[in-house]
Amino acid sequence: MSDGIVFEDVSKFYGEILGVNRVNLSIPPGITSLVGPNGSGKTTLMNLMTGLVKPTRGRVQVLGYRTDDPEHLFKILGYSTQFDAFPKGLTGFQFIYSYLRLAGRDSHSSEQLAWRVIERVNLVEAAKRNIAGYSKGMRQRIRLAQALAHDPKVLVLDEPLNGLDPLARSEMIALFRATAAQGCYVIISSHILHEVDVISDQVILLSNGYVVAEGPISTVRGEIQEHPTQILIRCTRPRELAARMLEDELTVEVSIHKDERGLLLKTRDADRLYLALNQLALQGIDIESIAPADDDVLSLYEYLIGNEEAVR
Amino acid sequence: MAVYRRNYKPYSGALTPAWSRWLVLFRYSRRNLFRSKFLTGLFVVCFFYPLACLLMIYLAHSATFLQEMGVPMGVLSIDNKFFFHFMSVQGVLAFLLTAFAGPGLISPDLANGALPLYFCRPFSRAEYVLGKSSVLAILLSQITWVPGLILFAMQASLAGASWTSTNLWIAGSLILSSLIWIAILSLLAMALSAWVKWRIVAGALLLGVMFFGAGFAQAINAVMRADWGHFFNVAYLMGTVWNALFQVDSEHAIPVAQAWVALLVYCAICLALLMRKVRAYEVIR
Repeated sequence: MSDGIVFEDVSKFYGEILGVNRVNLSIPPGITSLVGPNGSGKTTLMNLMTGLVKPTRGRVQVLGYRTDDPEHLFKILGYSTQFDAFPKGLTGFQFIYSYLRLAGRDSHSSEQLAWRVIERVNLVEAAKRNIAGYSKGMRQRIRLAQALAHDPKVLVLDEPLNGLDPLARSEMIALFRATAAQGCYVIISSHILHEVDVISDQVILLSNGYVVAEGPISTVRGEIQEHPTQILIRCTRPRELAARMLEDELTVEVSIHKDERGLLLKTRDADRLYLALNQLALQGIDIESIAPADDDVLSLYEYLIGNEEAVR
Repeated sequence: MAVYRRNYKPYSGALTPAWSRWLVLFRYSRRNLFRSKFLTGLFVVCFFYPLACLLMIYLAHSATFLQEMGVPMGVLSIDNKFFFHFMSVQGVLAFLLTAFAGPGLISPDLANGALPLYFCRPFSRAEYVLGKSSVLAILLSQITWVPGLILFAMQASLAGASWTSTNLWIAGSLILSSLIWIAILSLLAMALSAWVKWRIVAGALLLGVMFFGAGFAQAINAVMRADWGHFFNVAYLMGTVWNALFQVDSEHAIPVAQAWVALLVYCAICLALLMRKVRAYEVIR
């Protein structure tokens, strides 16, 4: 069984409509977030890796399994769709239990696994109630539970944090982290960028069906040369530091923080700036902290997709 | 990148055989169906006529009863026509049962967008259709060929070996005529259920296909002064096939072989419609 989720020159067209085009990806273990505006191809990419749609061109493999081999694929893969979709008339427990039976588990094992996962998503008290009476957050959690129930190695979650309150969101994020920490693959699509930022080991940015960028956030940020890196420096004498930094030709812009205890600096070469700051610190300027200010998904989204969206 | 301990251990136990998974769907769908008191009542009503037939068979062989009633032996004859009438009555009941039970099989899953949930398991579209259609197939079998064969067995036991050997073909006709009717009804009901998301409308459409189809066929025949309009009348096609199977004398406008082909074409169209609609994702253009 080879590692990774691999897309080789994959395109998907729905008639004349482009789903995704010429996607080449190799997704490693950990939490990977798919980020992009509506219609950018996130769900298509997820449906391709779960075999629910067939690629028009190219090949998708999940841990060495072909996606048109559901018997093997769905032993190691769990999928939670973004739609609030449930067969009619089932209780939360029946929902999980029946899908475990459908996945080939026997009655006893299905019952055990169902209760275990219901406990994991904190729905024990509501498990015997009809799903139709669940709140949005509970429905989201039971949907996650059906994806997690059979202990998949690859977890594909389309908009899993939608509709959850902050407490439930943090619980779910902890769950994703725990799953990833076991060496599993957690693929998430989300519009909540600051959460994507917190939880993701790597991101895949999509726009109009194309992969715009992929990899760890800091690596992707480092490759965007046309946007100078923004760095927030907290110090006691920001004006003096600003003057010194402006002497460097790679410094593009400096602005003093509102509280007069720091400055925001834009530079074309962050590494050189960090070296320069070391020198200044040695010369007696009291620097409390240095942190990148645009090394996050929100900034990446803005730089790589934001302009494109604006043009459209 | 985080440091991963990679302590994930996949499930290594045995799985249930792949061929048996559609039974899960069958079980749940059947349980859902019988939540309706009306359907349960209708299902019970479907056994009244077979019970009456059972009584008739018994009485036909009861010399004392016939003497008391002054009925000569042999008047109540249990032959191919008897079983043809049995099938005709049960066929109508099977249609009514399908009109009520069939549309609710797939439409709720489609209306709720639940199909991706089914198909992100080791479970195929064909198995989904098999699981859902088996509910109707088993339900309709219970009121058509199963009681038909019980009646045949009862008659055979009372009439003796000579009657049985002469009329054994009737048992085959019972099974074949029921199976083709069940196939047509199940596929038609499910195809309509898949294309019309509203259960009531799908039920009405099934009635429409039968009754308006018959009317349309008559209109075509009258206007065109032809017989091929009968191809739009599923009940007529079925009647033609049943008449031939039970060797009941009847004039039919279209040959039996063509009626068979037409029914099989209807089945194929319904299957194609089903496979077109039963997909994990529907792309709306």
